Amino acid sequence: MKRKDFLNRLIGEVTNFLLEGNPLRLVVSLHQEDDGAHLSFFDDRKRSEQELQSIRASLNPKHTRPELAGYYGMMAGYDASWGARLKLIGWQIKSATVRNTDSGLQIDLWLGSDAFNPDNFTIEKEN
Amino acid sequence: MIEKNERIRYIALLCILLAILIASFFVDGVKKSIADFITIQRSSSRLIQDFTVIGIGGALLNASLVALIGLCLVFFSSVSLAGPTIAAIFTLLGFGFFGKTPLNGLPIMAGVWVAARIARQTLGSYSLIALFGTALGPMVTYLMFETALPLSLSIPIACIAGLATGIILPAIAGTMLQQHHGYNLYNIGFSCGFIGLFVSSTLRVMKQMQPISIQWNEQGHPVLTALIPAVAMLLCSVGLISSNGSFKILFLDTRELQHLSGRLPTDYFDAVNSGAPWLNMGLLAFASFLFVLITGAPFNGPVIGGIFTVIGFGAFGKSLKNCWPIVLGVCLGILLFRKEFTDPGPILAALFATTLAPIAGQFGILAGIIAGLIHFIMVESTAAWHGGLDLYNNGFAGGLTATFIITILHWFQTNRSKEDFKL
Repeated sequence: MKRKDFLNRLIGEVTNFLLEGNPLRLVVSLHQEDDGAHLSFFDDRKRSEQELQSIRASLNPKHTRPELAGYYGMMAGYDASWGARLKLIGWQIKSATVRNTDSGLQIDLWLGSDAFNPDNFTIEKEN
Repeated sequence: MIEKNERIRYIALLCILLAILIASFFVDGVKKSIADFITIQRSSSRLIQDFTVIGIGGALLNASLVALIGLCLVFFSSVSLAGPTIAAIFTLLGFGFFGKTPLNGLPIMAGVWVAARIARQTLGSYSLIALFGTALGPMVTYLMFETALPLSLSIPIACIAGLATGIILPAIAGTMLQQHHGYNLYNIGFSCGFIGLFVSSTLRVMKQMQPISIQWNEQGHPVLTALIPAVAMLLCSVGLISSNGSFKILFLDTRELQHLSGRLPTDYFDAVNSGAPWLNMGLLAFASFLFVLITGAPFNGPVIGGIFTVIGFGAFGKSLKNCWPIVLGVCLGILLFRKEFTDPGPILAALFATTLAPIAGQFGILAGIIAGLIHFIMVESTAAWHGGLDLYNNGFAGGLTATFIITILHWFQTNRSKEDFKL
C-alpha cells in the first residue's frame, strides 16, 4: 500500500506537469529494479534547454530535505488544478534525469530504499 | 557538517534567543523570573492567557526556553535550519508568551517521535509537525492542572493525551494540507483545531470543559516594546552580512521574493542565494511593529507572539506584497462590524490572518482582501469551537477560509468548457 500510494503521488505530480503542456501523447512506464523502482515519462513536446534545466533543478534539489519531503511531500499529485510543483517530488526521490528525445520530453525518476546504491540503477551517466 | 549560510542562521537565532533569555533576568531578576517561569508551567494556557501578566521576566524566560528546545530538535534531527524550521522556531518563541511551555510541548513532540517510529521515518521527516504540533499544548496543561482529578491521575492522563495527539497529528496534518492546497500557511493550526473539536467535545460531554477566559496585559512593557525593533534591526543586519555586504544583491533578491506567491512550501532561503529572506523578515517586523503602534494596541505577550510569528514566516511564505491585502481585509472587517482595533480578537486576527498570504500572492489583491474579511468573520467564532485548546486559532480559521475560497475557485476552474478535448 505504501508503494502504491507513493507511486500514485509521483505519477500524479509528473503527469500533472506534463499535461500542462497539452501533449497529444503521454506514456508512463514503471520498472522494478534491484534496489527500488524506475519510473519513465514520455510526451511529444520538446522543451528548450532552459526549460530542461529548470525541470532538472526541481527534480534534483541541492540538499536533502526530509522535513519537507515527509510533510509537504504529501501534497504531491493531489492538486492537479493549480500548477505542478516538481520540487514536491524532487525531495522524495533518489535521482532524476530529464532530456529531449526525438519525439518529445523524457523524464526518468529513480526511487530507492534509504540504502540507495546508484550502481544498482541504470542511471544514465551523461545527466 | 553545517554549511556557512546555515551556521550564520544558527548564530543569528542563538543570539536572539539568548539575548531574550538574559533580558528576562535583567527585567525581573533571576529569582523572580525563575519563580514566574515555574508558575507559568502550572497556569492555564488556553486562548488567550497572556503570560506577561504573571511576570515579564518569567514570560521572556519561558518563550526563549520553548524556542531553544525547538532549535535543539532541529539540530539533533539533522534537518536544515532554513525557511520552514526558522518559521517554526519564531512561532515557538512567539507562542512562548501566551500558551506554549516546555512542559506542555514535550509530550506532543514525543508523540510525533513515536509516530515517526511507527511509520519507519526519521524524526527529521516529521520535525515540522513536532515543532508546530505544540499548538495543542494547552490541552496538556488543561488536563494536568485544570480538571477536578488529583495530580497523581491528571499528570499521567495529560501526558498520554499529549502523546496520543502527537501520534495522530502527522496523519491529520497531511490530509489537511490537501484541503486548502497549501494556501494556509499555518496548516498544523488547521489540523490542531480539527483535533481540538473532538477533545473539547469529549470534555464537554463529560462536563469537564470550563468556559474560555481572557487574560490580557493592557499595559505592555518597555522591554516588550523595544524587543521587536531590536530584533528587526538584527535581522536586517544579518541579511546584509549574508549578502556579503552587497546592498544591490540584497535589494534585488528581496524584490524577487515579493513576486513569489508564498504557497506552501516556499522556502525563501531556497529561492534566493543571499540574505534577502532575513531582510524580508526584518521588513515584516518593522511593518507589524508600526501597525500595532498605529492601532494603539499594547505590546503584550500575545501581540509580541503574533509579530514573532509573522517574522518567522517571512522566511517561509510571507512578504510585504502578499500580506498587506489580507491585513487590509481584516481591517475592513473590524471597521464594518464596529470592533475595536485594540481588542484581543481584532488585533490578533490582523497579525495572524497573514496565514492566508499565499491567496493574495497567487490570486491577487482583491482575493486577498476578501480572504482577510472572511477570515475575520470566521476567527471570531472558532476559538469557542475547540475551547481555546488550539493556540493557532487563526490557523484553524485560516484553513477553513482557504478551503472555502480554493474549493470555489477550483470548481470554476474545472467547469469551464473552453478546452474540452478540442485540439
